[in-house]
Amino acid sequence: MNLTNLLSRISLKHIRHQKARMIIAMLGIALGVATMVSIDIVNASVLHSFEESINHVTGRAVLQVTDAESGFPESMLERVQKVPGVEFALPVIQTNAMFSDGSKQSFMILGVDSLQDHQIRSYKLSDESADIPDPLLFLAKSDSLLITKKMAEREGIKIDQKVRLQTVEGFKTLTVRGLLDPEGPAKAAGGDIAIMDVYAAQIAFGKEGRIDRIDVSILPGETLDSMKERIGEALPKGYVIDTPRERSRQVELTLMRFRKSMSIIGIMALLVGMYLIYNAVSISVVHRRKETGILRALGCTRGQVLRLFLFETAALSGFASLAGIGLGIFFAHLTVGLVAQSITDLYIKASVSELALSRCGLVIDFCLGIIASLAAAVVPSSAGARITPISAIRVQPWSDSGLLLGKKIKIAAACSLLLSFVLLFAYKNAGPVSLIRSSAVTSLSVLFLIVGISLATPSFLKNFVGLFHRYLSPRLGAGGRLAGLNLQKNLSRNAVAVAAVFFSITMLVSSANMIHSASMSLTEYIDAVTQADILISSGHPMSSGGAPNIPMPEAMMKEIEEIPGVRLAYPFRKSNINYGGKRILLESFDVERSKDYSSFNLFTNGRREDMIRLLPRQDYVVINESLAARYGLRPGSDIDLQTPEGTRRFGVAAVVVAYESDSGVIWMDIHTYRKHWKDTVVDLYELLVEPGASVPAVREAILDRFSKERSLFVMPAREFKDEIQKMLDRSFVMNNAVVIIEMIIAGFGIVITLLASVLERTREIGILRSIGMTRGQVSGIVVLESVLLGACGGILGSAAGILVGWLNLEGFFRIDLGASMRYEVHVPSLLWALLFSIGFSVLAGLYPAWRAAKTNIVEALAYE
Amino acid sequence: MIELKNASKKYQQGAKEVHALRDVSLNIKKGEFLSVMGASGSGKSTFLNLIGGLDQPSSGEIFIDGIPLHGISDDELTLIRRRRVGFIFQFFNLLPILTAAENVSLPLLLEGTPYSEIKPKAIKLLEQVGLGERTEHRPEQLSGGEMQRVAISRALISNPAVLLADEPTGNLDSHTSEEIFMLLKSLHEQGQTIVMVTHDSRAAAYGSRIVTLKDGMVSEDIALGGRA
Repeated sequence: MNLTNLLSRISLKHIRHQKARMIIAMLGIALGVATMVSIDIVNASVLHSFEESINHVTGRAVLQVTDAESGFPESMLERVQKVPGVEFALPVIQTNAMFSDGSKQSFMILGVDSLQDHQIRSYKLSDESADIPDPLLFLAKSDSLLITKKMAEREGIKIDQKVRLQTVEGFKTLTVRGLLDPEGPAKAAGGDIAIMDVYAAQIAFGKEGRIDRIDVSILPGETLDSMKERIGEALPKGYVIDTPRERSRQVELTLMRFRKSMSIIGIMALLVGMYLIYNAVSISVVHRRKETGILRALGCTRGQVLRLFLFETAALSGFASLAGIGLGIFFAHLTVGLVAQSITDLYIKASVSELALSRCGLVIDFCLGIIASLAAAVVPSSAGARITPISAIRVQPWSDSGLLLGKKIKIAAACSLLLSFVLLFAYKNAGPVSLIRSSAVTSLSVLFLIVGISLATPSFLKNFVGLFHRYLSPRLGAGGRLAGLNLQKNLSRNAVAVAAVFFSITMLVSSANMIHSASMSLTEYIDAVTQADILISSGHPMSSGGAPNIPMPEAMMKEIEEIPGVRLAYPFRKSNINYGGKRILLESFDVERSKDYSSFNLFTNGRREDMIRLLPRQDYVVINESLAARYGLRPGSDIDLQTPEGTRRFGVAAVVVAYESDSGVIWMDIHTYRKHWKDTVVDLYELLVEPGASVPAVREAILDRFSKERSLFVMPAREFKDEIQKMLDRSFVMNNAVVIIEMIIAGFGIVITLLASVLERTREIGILRSIGMTRGQVSGIVVLESVLLGACGGILGSAAGILVGWLNLEGFFRIDLGASMRYEVHVPSLLWALLFSIGFSVLAGLYPAWRAAKTNIVEALAYE
Repeated sequence: MIELKNASKKYQQGAKEVHALRDVSLNIKKGEFLSVMGASGSGKSTFLNLIGGLDQPSSGEIFIDGIPLHGISDDELTLIRRRRVGFIFQFFNLLPILTAAENVSLPLLLEGTPYSEIKPKAIKLLEQVGLGERTEHRPEQLSGGEMQRVAISRALISNPAVLLADEPTGNLDSHTSEEIFMLLKSLHEQGQTIVMVTHDSRAAAYGSRIVTLKDGMVSEDIALGGRA
């Protein structure tokens, strides 16, 4: 009750009187919460869309049998159908395709058994197709296609219209027999789905005799576990029998690291928001020191003062978090497409048609916003509670310098920094399989480093201003001297603004260095694996990684080599296979053909000469370092892989650096692959041109040669590398956006600090103005203070950013993704960060400077 | 009513130890109007801070209505301040964001009493000090004398055992000072115990007893005529 009195009588009035500061503080926390909310929503939406897609496509099927991505023999279907308890076991081909004309947007093709599929999936035809008695019967005609109404509207396709589809066999003309209403499977993949007959799909997509999946419904009374066991026994080892939920979980696992990195980015934004709250509450405590002293003198207990500040923070952050949720939903709308594109580039085709808003998730984010704010407010609020009643009668000006410069804070800063370096040292010297080599250790080292430096900012600022006094302020006249003195007067408060700038610049520099290093390493890797002059793919410019693709036939290689100017072509095929419960990437290429041109030298364990063991009929593979580290494999080890015909043992020839998949990468000769996986299609052709031949001319010749058969991406190696760079840039777009938000929040921190400083110095500014200081000089001092704060934070952040960048590269890329990368400091980004921090500080200082300049001299002199 | 037994207060000023108050023993009776005089740095304010529970002695004992002010927790001391002591400061120390009536109500608001219940009493007190028309004015809209009268009303609202005034007219002109002293005198006549710190001998003469401090010690203790 008494707290209610204080809140309603005092806090509300303060809020009303300090609107600008309150709004800025609220904006800071709102932005932090918004970033977190948007990332959560985007993450959840992507997963939800996969889950929905899987559920819609699954229909009544309760189990799904899968093997390698390249498919498995259709003879397995009969085995499953014969398992007692199976009601229906139906074959499915699931792949991507695109129309050769129109929007060129890729969509999912579902090849189903046209006679039986209605037993587990229901399709609803639109009114326009109402005269068709049984849509699936039409699929028995091999050129039939059902598409969704959404696609028909987008592409301008009518019923019975012939459409050209890009397939493995080249353009294939199909007839749209009907349009599907958005129900059942038609809702999968965001409505970008077309249905074909399974056998027509096998031919069109190079999977003759193979299927991608068997969807199984079971008889009443049978249990999922016993059916999984029985089906497993009927099939060769290695087949995966999952429920749709388990398949969703697989996707979740595949995207786990991506989601984790996104979530960390969100938390970072909230952390900067916490700096701002810390700053705002610190300033409030300092500003209301006398008022607090009066309250204490009149009988307000320490607990009441503490609760007063905390409740004010809770109330403000409550509103801010609510606003943050609204803003977060808006941000999610803006970014979900970009994130889906990144996931498509890196993992699997993702299409998100609607945002998945979870009430529970939003409530958690709302609470997190308040909890983070309260956590940030605890230290300054406790300092407020320690204000003595004597403060009420003390007349001399009071400085908060002692607030954060105490011995305890210095010891805490030193301990935190020491801990960070101990962890770093331990990590650096730990063996490759040691528990210390984990991303948790690098993250903890980063955390302690940031906390340590944040706590040390008052001391750093003190020395920084000391240096400024010694070397620069004498050249800047009275204004320079006053600016320095003003900063010194309230070191703790100013240090919080510096800490916020430091944090944002650390994030900016570390992420710039990490992206630069990743980009350099990736370029180096692409240069090492790509010796070709031209790369040919179909369906997507990138045919490695997780990009959806429409493969090409094996026979195309000869046709390419016949084109004038082409010296040699060699094929590349990628396929996801199951290994150790994970989907890993199996890449195959023609070792014989490419060996004379390859200069690949990124070996972690092994030599270039070991690659020769990959030659056909030797059953050797090369594995990447993440796979080697996870399963303790090295050259000479054996690795058992599940092929459609059962388990096959391969020897490990070497361990290499390969970045295509964070789950693991295996390289093998394409002939070995074809022998075991019975898969002859090709994802990418790499080719070398004759000496003296013009790459653009050869490219034109290739496009000419195949233009009637299929649409191809024929890219000179440079363009291909540019595409990879673009893909990398896209994958960091969210990161960059959050860094900008963090900078804005840090800018707010400076605005709040300087506003409070200007307010506190009203009388002093009045005196200066009365003795002849111009408005320009007054605002110049404030802007100079802002610049000094920004520069101090910028220097600290740049230095810390270099170290954090390395730790993040180690933790995120080497440990989490299993991809070791060479760390390289990006010097221009350091210079930019310093310029940015100063420039941003100038901007942040403009409003407080304007407020200071317009101070009324008479009123200011009367101000107490 | 208020008893000091060998009360001392030491401060650390850099490397130097300052004895603000040395072994002061004193009794202040109920209904007394004690004026505390002394030069700057003599320990007047420290004396007031100690008997008001704003600070605690380094050694010695202090009692108010038999309740010790020494060796108790901060919260206990706070409650004594809230319920038994009324403060009048030289610089008024009103909260600029509150109206006169709200400022007066503060000690009871801290007790948890709803403002609607306190407000009539606050207005009545303001009327008694001649500010019945200014109850909704903020400090910035009041003159110095008016602000001090608001502060006196605030000090009285919780019916304190003692009213402590620290140079209550130090910031006011002579005419207004006279009004404030008359107000304090009338409160004293109604039985209110008052301890006033001042360096002005004319002001001190409004009291019933004058204690002079020098170098942190009682150098003179004179009882005047009148009540007490």
